Amino acid sequence: MENTKTAPRPRLLTRWIAALAIGMLALVAGAPASLAQGSDSVEGKTFVIGTDTTFAPFEFRQDGELTGIDMDILNTIAEEEGFKVEVRSLGFSAALAALSANQVDGVIAGMSITDERKKIYDFSEPYFESGVQMAVAKNNEDIKGYEDLKGKTVVAKTGSEGETYAKSIAGKYGFQVKSLDQSATMYESVKSGSAVAVFDDYPVLAYGIAQGNGLKTVTDKVPGGSYGFAVNKGENTALLAAFNDGLAKMKANGEYQKILDKYLADPAAAAPSNFFDLVAKSFPALMTGLWHTLVVTAASFAIAMVLGLLFGFFKISSNIVLRGIATTFINIFRGTPLLLWAFMFYFGLPQLLGVGISVWTAGILTLSLNAGAYVAEIVRGGIQSVDPGQLEASRSLGLGYGKSMQKVVIPQAFKMMTPSLINQLIISLKDSSLLLAIGFTELLYQGQQIYAANFRVTETLLIVGFIYFIAIMALTKLANYADKRFNK
Amino acid sequence: MSNVKIQVSDLHKSFGSNNVLKGIDLDIAEGEVVCVIGPSGSGKSTLLRCLNKLEDITSGKVVVDGFDVTDPKVDINEVRRHVGMVFQHFNLFPHMSVAENIMLAPVELKKMNRTEARAKALELLERVGLKEKADARPSSLSGGQKQRVAIARALAMAPGIMLFDEATSALDPEMVGEVLQVIKELADSGMTMVLVTHEMGFAREVADRVVFMADGVVCEQGKPEDLFGNPQQARTQDFLSKVL
Repeated sequence: MENTKTAPRPRLLTRWIAALAIGMLALVAGAPASLAQGSDSVEGKTFVIGTDTTFAPFEFRQDGELTGIDMDILNTIAEEEGFKVEVRSLGFSAALAALSANQVDGVIAGMSITDERKKIYDFSEPYFESGVQMAVAKNNEDIKGYEDLKGKTVVAKTGSEGETYAKSIAGKYGFQVKSLDQSATMYESVKSGSAVAVFDDYPVLAYGIAQGNGLKTVTDKVPGGSYGFAVNKGENTALLAAFNDGLAKMKANGEYQKILDKYLADPAAAAPSNFFDLVAKSFPALMTGLWHTLVVTAASFAIAMVLGLLFGFFKISSNIVLRGIATTFINIFRGTPLLLWAFMFYFGLPQLLGVGISVWTAGILTLSLNAGAYVAEIVRGGIQSVDPGQLEASRSLGLGYGKSMQKVVIPQAFKMMTPSLINQLIISLKDSSLLLAIGFTELLYQGQQIYAANFRVTETLLIVGFIYFIAIMALTKLANYADKRFNK
Repeated sequence: MSNVKIQVSDLHKSFGSNNVLKGIDLDIAEGEVVCVIGPSGSGKSTLLRCLNKLEDITSGKVVVDGFDVTDPKVDINEVRRHVGMVFQHFNLFPHMSVAENIMLAPVELKKMNRTEARAKALELLERVGLKEKADARPSSLSGGQKQRVAIARALAMAPGIMLFDEATSALDPEMVGEVLQVIKELADSGMTMVLVTHEMGFAREVADRVVFMADGVVCEQGKPEDLFGNPQQARTQDFLSKVL
C-alpha cells in the first residue's frame, strides 16, 4: 500500500468488495460483538472500536476503505496480539458518546490525552506526539503571525487541542474562535473567507496541505498533547494492556516508524486530478450511500404507514384513552427534532436497556416514529375529509364499521391523502441524511468521507446533491404514476 | 291493524341538553306507507334515523321487524339489512360505478356472488329506469338519476322496510317527478315505508297515514284526506296554512 495510484485494478476491486462485505457484516452484527470485561486474555476476541470519520491522516477513506495512521497502528497491534477489531467510523463526538454508552469497546480517533478525559476514560501509552499549528489561505499575505489576527475570526475543531490553544491566546491577540466539527469544513471556511485562519493538529494540517487543500502554514508548531487509545474507565483492561504491549513491540521493531513515514513524510497523492476523475472515483461509495439511504427510507416509511394508520384511527376514535395516546404520540414526535431522537436511540437507549442498538435500528426507529407522527395527521385529515354521509350510507346497508372503513371511507380518504403521503416520503428521504450524525453510512455521509480525504468539498457536495435530486425526481415520478394508476 | 312492522314507544332523544324527541309513540303496520311532515327542527329526520339506529336512542323502545333496536345485544348490522334508507344527499360512493354501488352490500355480506349481485343490480336499475348507466360513475349522473340509483342500492338487500329522509329536497324541481314516480311504484308494490317529506301533494297521494310532528312530539296523525282536509290541532292548521 505504498502508493494506491499504482495499485493494480483487480486489487482495488477486491478491496472494494471487502469493504462492502465488512459494511454488510456490520449491519447484520449490529450490536457490539463484544463487551468483554474482566477477562485476562484478548486472544481470538473481536472488539468494536469507534473512530472519527474525517481526521486525515489518522483516519480517512481511500477508495472506500478506512485507512490512516490510527487504522494501521490498530490493525498491526491487533494482529500482533491476536485479537480482531470491527471499526465503526462514527465521527469524533459520536464515537466518544458511543464509548460512554458501551456501544463500542474502545476509541482511537487522534484523541489528545487530557486531564479532563482521564476522569472518564482510561488511556493507553501515548502513540503519537502532536502539536497545534495555524494555517491561512495560500494567497493570504496579510496574516503572518498571531498579532495580525486582531478583530478577525478563526476556526478550530470542537473539543480539540487546537480549540483550547486558540481560545487561550484569543484574548491576548483579540480574535474570535468559531468551532466546527470537521477538518474539511474548517479548511473550506478559511478558503471561502468566512474565517481567516484555522488552528488544527499539525499532522492533519500537514497532510491536508500536501493534498492540495489550498492552505499554508505561517507559524511554528506549538508542542502539545499526545494521542492515546481510550477505553471506558475501569473496563476492557485486557484490551488496553494488549494495546500498550503491541505498541511497545511496534516501536521496538520499527513498524511504528514505517507507518508514520508512510503518512507524514510522503503522503499518498490520492486526490483525483479532475472533476470526472472525482466522479468516477467516488461513484461506488456514493452508490452504496444512496442504496443505504433508499433502504432506510423505504423501511422507515413502511413502518410509518402502519403507525400512521393506527394512530390516525386512534385520533378519530370515540374512545378518549385512544385519542389521548394518539395525541401524545403525535405531539412528542412532531414537537421534537429528528436529530434529538437519533442521538437518543443510538446513545441513550442502550444505556437504559443495557444492550447495544445497531445504527440501522436506531436510524429506522428515528425516521419511522417521526414520519409516523406526520402520517397519523395525514390519515386523520384524510378520513375526516370524507363526507360523514358516506359512512352512514354504508352502515345503513348493514356493513360493519370496519368493512365500511375498508370499502368506502379509506379508498376515498387515501385518494385525498396521496399527495401529502408522497410529500412525506420525500421529506423522510431527505431527513435520512441527518442520520450521518450517528455514523449511519447514507449518501451525504459517504460524501463527507470523500471530501474528508481529498478536501474537494464543493465538487463532492455538488455530486451528492445531484444524486439526491435525481433520486427524488425519480421517486416523485414513480409515486405520481402509481397515484394515477391506482387512484382513478 | 294487521302485522306490526315498526313499533316505537316513548322514544326520547337528546343531543346534550337539547331534547329533540320528547316521547314518541308510533306503530306502523306491514305494507303501510307513512309520511312524516312538520316544520324544520321538529325532529322528523331524527325519528327516522332512530329507526335504524343511525342515532343512539336516549330512552324508550324501538322494535323494527321483530328486532328490539334498543337492546344493546342486538346485531344492529343484521337489523339494517332489513331496513333500506335513502338520504337527502344521495350519499352514493363516488369511487365505485353505479352497479358496484348496488353490488357492495350483497357481495360484502356474502349474500350473493359477484355474478348474481351484478344481475340483481341490473334488474334493480331497470326498475328505476337506469339500466344503461350501470357502468357509469355517480359523478356523471344528474341529481334525479343519483337518487334513483340510491333507491336501487337501498333495495339491494331486499329489505322489508324503506326509510326516505327528505329524498327530493336536494333536487332541482324538474327532477323531483322522476324520483317520486319510483317511490310511488315502490309504495304500490306493498313495501312498508316511512317518508320524511316536504312534498305535501305527494304525501296526500301515496300515504296511508300522515304524521304531523312539532317540537319533538307527534302533534296529530290520520288519513291524508282527514289531516289535510280537516286538521284538528291549531299547530297543524298553522303549519298547513303556510305550506299549502
